[in-house]
Amino acid sequence: MFHLSIVERIKKKGTDALELYSIIIFLIVSILFFSLISSDFFSLRVFQSMAFQLPELGLLTLAMLIPIISGGLNLSITFSANICGLSTAFLIKSYLPDFGVLTVFLAFTVGIVVGIFVGALIGLIIAYVGAHPILVTLGAMIFLRGLGETITHGGDISGMPEVFNTIGNSLMLGIPIPLYIFLAASVVTFYIMQYTKIGFSIYMVGSNPDAASYSGINTKHILVFVYSLSGALAGLAGVLMLSRFNSVRIGHGYSYLLITILACFLAGANPFGGFGRIIPLVIGLISLQVIASGMNLMGASQYLVTAMWGGFLIIVMMLRSPFLKKN
Amino acid sequence: MKTIIKTIIKFATSTAIIMAATSTSVYAKETTIGVVVKIGGIPWFNAMEQGIEEAGKKLGVNAFMIGPTSADPALQVRAIEDLIARKVDVIGVVPNDAKVLEPVLKRAREAGIKVITHESIETINKDYDFELVSTKAFGIANARLFAKSTGCKGDYAVYVGSLTVPAQNAWADAAIGYLKKNCPSMKQVSERFGVAESVDDSRTTTLDLLQSHPKLAGILAFGSQGPIGAARAVEERGLTGKVAVVGLFSASQGRRLVHDGSLTGGFVWSPIEAGKAFVELGKKLADGGSVKDGDTLPALGKIVLEGNNIIANKPLELNSKSVDVLAKLGL
Repeated sequence: MFHLSIVERIKKKGTDALELYSIIIFLIVSILFFSLISSDFFSLRVFQSMAFQLPELGLLTLAMLIPIISGGLNLSITFSANICGLSTAFLIKSYLPDFGVLTVFLAFTVGIVVGIFVGALIGLIIAYVGAHPILVTLGAMIFLRGLGETITHGGDISGMPEVFNTIGNSLMLGIPIPLYIFLAASVVTFYIMQYTKIGFSIYMVGSNPDAASYSGINTKHILVFVYSLSGALAGLAGVLMLSRFNSVRIGHGYSYLLITILACFLAGANPFGGFGRIIPLVIGLISLQVIASGMNLMGASQYLVTAMWGGFLIIVMMLRSPFLKKN
Repeated sequence: MKTIIKTIIKFATSTAIIMAATSTSVYAKETTIGVVVKIGGIPWFNAMEQGIEEAGKKLGVNAFMIGPTSADPALQVRAIEDLIARKVDVIGVVPNDAKVLEPVLKRAREAGIKVITHESIETINKDYDFELVSTKAFGIANARLFAKSTGCKGDYAVYVGSLTVPAQNAWADAAIGYLKKNCPSMKQVSERFGVAESVDDSRTTTLDLLQSHPKLAGILAFGSQGPIGAARAVEERGLTGKVAVVGLFSASQGRRLVHDGSLTGGFVWSPIEAGKAFVELGKKLADGGSVKDGDTLPALGKIVLEGNNIIANKPLELNSKSVDVLAKLGL
């Protein structure tokens, strides 16, 4: 009886609250689990290490979530990110003297602008040609990769001014600087998605594009915005990777693509669009990082880590299904 | 809810069992050496892992390998971040992209961790890099075998994977230099061909060369597929034993051709030895030791120190005996 009433009570609050509670429980269980197993786990050092690793994957996952909410997918995020990184690095290496901190602001601006440009192009094709986002972004992904490989001959641009290294690899008040950037981007995205008209429209378009269109939403504009925002976040990730690695090459981080999709679904995004929240996503990402770092700390195989991630997604889906069905 | 809790408990216990099986003495205070390689689950690095574990057992240190699930350099950065958090004594790494790792290796060294690289002389933030064989010695070893099997007579051609691969071209330079000096009567038929990463291209190029240069005495190929393709062409033309094919190739792929005699042989270096060298060297550094020019080190033999690059001379000959041993390891 008691258990039932909890389920009922949670249900009354809606699936959003349910997702949030379950993902928080998931995080707490992960942390407790590794703290119990390994005495080394619960330490500042380990949390700092996780905080260094999380941001680039986190930004790319945000870039993936927005299109998923709109009922699409953006397969081109990793290569968009590196195209932005390459443009930024090229500009700074060839044309700009070292302005110190100002260079960094400029770099992030350039990266984001290039990202918006790439994303807007993709969005325009999806909105006005009407092809499925998977096809368009798959095309864009292969195109951008080919373009990047051709321009750079598979090589890299490296040796950024020292201030980049500071942004990518140092601490401020004990917290890695990349984490601040990720959290700031999350807050902005959260605000857009939760408190603005355009954010609400994205959810509507994702739930039912026809209904959204009849209710006076310009779905084409919304789609262009969706992919521009996704591109901007990918661009930010690209410049962040540039400062983390002090180097950029078109292939960096390509292995993140499927993990970003996994993280979105783990956080309750619906593959058919319309659902998915920023806060559960951020917490879900932290959980995945806890699992990865915890397992690495104990010397487990990297393949086992990915198996765990996949296993968790399947289990979460199984746990989620009874609640969704009855709703 | 009950079933949910049950499932969670079941899952937690089963993972705990997996953990217990995979974790390697977490609380040990012994020297800990973590080696991050390019990618896990391929024969070359499985063999390296074998070397790491053997040497770890022998020296009584906790040595283990981390193999990322793809050759993405970003994953190597993550693995090294975790090793820093774990406070290992030594980090070993075979970089996918030397530059990407510089910032994180710098932080590792700032945290008091010794850093050893392999096949990455260009890395700056390291204590030492070690190479099992110098580019020059490797080229010369192949050229010497080539000279012996052709009797220093006739024409020859040189294949590389591509004209832009630095290591392969440096090997070719050294080999050609050796042949010019020691076999002045031998003639290189043309500029080197960039075909050695493709069996088909190497095969057709060799067929063409055999047609147009009747005095062709052999092919020197630096690129994993070059010797295989060239040897197949030699076999097809029934010239086995008359035209020498020497180079670097995978033992399991070239095994049959070596036994038939159409593939003369060549050289590689041993990933097992590299694994052992990581641990031997790591233990030495963790104990506060250092390396001097001309030292004789376990697993590396007598070495030359150039800056902080340790160059050993341990080419491993590929012949009818060694290919079988290496093929068994899946190499």
